[in-house]
Amino acid sequence: MNKISVIIKSIAEAKDIKDMVDAYLIPIEDLSINYQKTFTIEEIEEIKKLKKEVFVFINKNIHNNELEKLEETLKNIEKLNINGIIFYDISLIELKKELNLKTDLVWHQEHLTTNYVAANYYYDKGVKYTYLSSELTKREIEEIKEKYKGKTFVNVFGYLPMFTSRRRLVNNYVDTFNLKEKGNRIYKEEKYYYIDDNKKGTTVYSDYILNVKEEIKADYIVFNSNMIDEDTFKEILKDYKNNKLEKETGFLFKETIYKVK
Amino acid sequence: MEKPELLAPAGDLERLKIALLYGADAVYIGGMFNLRANTPNSTLEDLKEGVEYAHKLNKKVYVTVNIAMHNKECEKIKPYLKELKKINVDAIIISDPGLIKMAKEIGLEVHLSTQNSTLNKKSVKFWENEGVSRIVLARECSKEDIKDIKENNKIELEVFIHGAICASYSGRCVLSNYLTNRDSNRGGCSQICRWDFDLYNENKKIEGEKPFTFCTKDLSMAKYLPDLINLGVDSLKIEGRMRSVYYIATVVKTYRSIIDEYFNNKKTYKYNKEYEKILDDVANRESITQFFDGNFGKDVQYYNGRKETTNQEFIGIVLSYDEKNKLAKVEQRNHFKKGDNIEIFGPKTRQKLKINDIYDEDMNIIEIVRHPKQIVYLKVPEKVEENYMIKCIDKQ
Repeated sequence: MNKISVIIKSIAEAKDIKDMVDAYLIPIEDLSINYQKTFTIEEIEEIKKLKKEVFVFINKNIHNNELEKLEETLKNIEKLNINGIIFYDISLIELKKELNLKTDLVWHQEHLTTNYVAANYYYDKGVKYTYLSSELTKREIEEIKEKYKGKTFVNVFGYLPMFTSRRRLVNNYVDTFNLKEKGNRIYKEEKYYYIDDNKKGTTVYSDYILNVKEEIKADYIVFNSNMIDEDTFKEILKDYKNNKLEKETGFLFKETIYKVK
Repeated sequence: MEKPELLAPAGDLERLKIALLYGADAVYIGGMFNLRANTPNSTLEDLKEGVEYAHKLNKKVYVTVNIAMHNKECEKIKPYLKELKKINVDAIIISDPGLIKMAKEIGLEVHLSTQNSTLNKKSVKFWENEGVSRIVLARECSKEDIKDIKENNKIELEVFIHGAICASYSGRCVLSNYLTNRDSNRGGCSQICRWDFDLYNENKKIEGEKPFTFCTKDLSMAKYLPDLINLGVDSLKIEGRMRSVYYIATVVKTYRSIIDEYFNNKKTYKYNKEYEKILDDVANRESITQFFDGNFGKDVQYYNGRKETTNQEFIGIVLSYDEKNKLAKVEQRNHFKKGDNIEIFGPKTRQKLKINDIYDEDMNIIEIVRHPKQIVYLKVPEKVEENYMIKCIDKQ
């Protein structure tokens, strides 16, 4: 049985969907990216009172001058007694050891969490969960679940990040050509993609909302509410297998190629 | 202070030899399971020959095995690694940590690819403790970052000094997967970051004088090499496994000269701007220092569509030289003719001349060399050698 986990965008939303959720996934301020809203330690503490599992995202690439901030944040998170930290940067594993932290870690190098050998490698280093890449097939996800010693997270609903840069690509364009307003979408070959440029850099999202209605073999299936209106999102959570939005399975049944014949 | 390694790309055996000949201390080359899946990657036989060639010169060969593996690759890769060990490669460059245990069991030295975006001293410490012998730092590292990382770790650090770079954090872009179904982290990158897009604010189009793109300028650290050397960087890496022999020869020779000039006399060393021009001549985009000085604002972007220049100045490569008759046997790479002013350069020499006498393979006098890979003979007064490059300075 999958646990229903949700990436939230407000405390009000977290409270509103409480009965349909097993775990909240919460982007923390300053050290997470790809999500509309980030949360303070105090806000996470408040969500913790809803008595569900809580995982916090620290999923940005950590620059050397951010280590101090990271250490301080990790110490504060440790006091919250949450279920895990979903991380991108490998410094998290080192700091867990150095600071003797008890909070579990979730390996989430976004597009690089693609096989059971690497997942088991990190498991042996004390990382007990892997948040799998959204560019895997259903068969690959199942095989990882069979051969991995830890627990898996798999995205099943929401926009997917495709590109993350430290550069502020929209700002740079606006500055170069002295434009008066910024953009938030890019267009190519009849498709629009959201682009978010903020002080941490730039993220570009998929043109579609992933909407998987199939049974997926994973410990946690993830519903991302970002950029989705709250009523629609609630409807999805009520019965995701029979929701009314168009089905979109991403790469589940579409293997990517890498050698062009 | 030790002289850092100059590390060059080798798309194949020919470019491996050229890179080493023109002054690289080591090369990196792909066989199977690497991020340039659509180049003619080297066979094990080629790699073996390359390693033997390099070792005879007391130089090194690193093999890129840097894909993010999927399950099926995990099962196939171990026999390949064993073969790499057999042919005695100096290290493998990986991005997938699943390979570390396998490599250790086999006895291969491991370098961690920039695909892992290692940006800080704590990540470096983790890898150091895992037995990785070298980290290729993320391109987003600043001078201060590199300094602090070096001071706090013993592991070797490799830094990119020249070439094209990702617009994203390396490893954090799958545009190619979504827009073309080609897996960017398994070698299928279709360079979507160089495409033009229309930019909108909701439904309103935002237009500058040129289209919106993610494309960045290339990297060139020529001017800042002494800084990198003084930071204690162990290996200075040139990007470009898909570049031509001419590009490799030119860029490697230039950086070799800068490193040697600095080491030969640090007190009086002065940056030679002429090198910048040489590098610019073979580039197909503008170059900049990127994140090194902490500036990644609008100046790093490249808004010039996909109009990239090609190196038509490269007109031929020397195959041999007849000292008695002062005739160089040349293989054509671009059109040239009698009267053109050319420069012939080798690893340590450079000579300029005007083309006066051209002969075909039957020693008939000809005026124009227009066929790809055509073999001709040129009258060249000063001695040249195999693999010297010929560039056209001024066409008649």
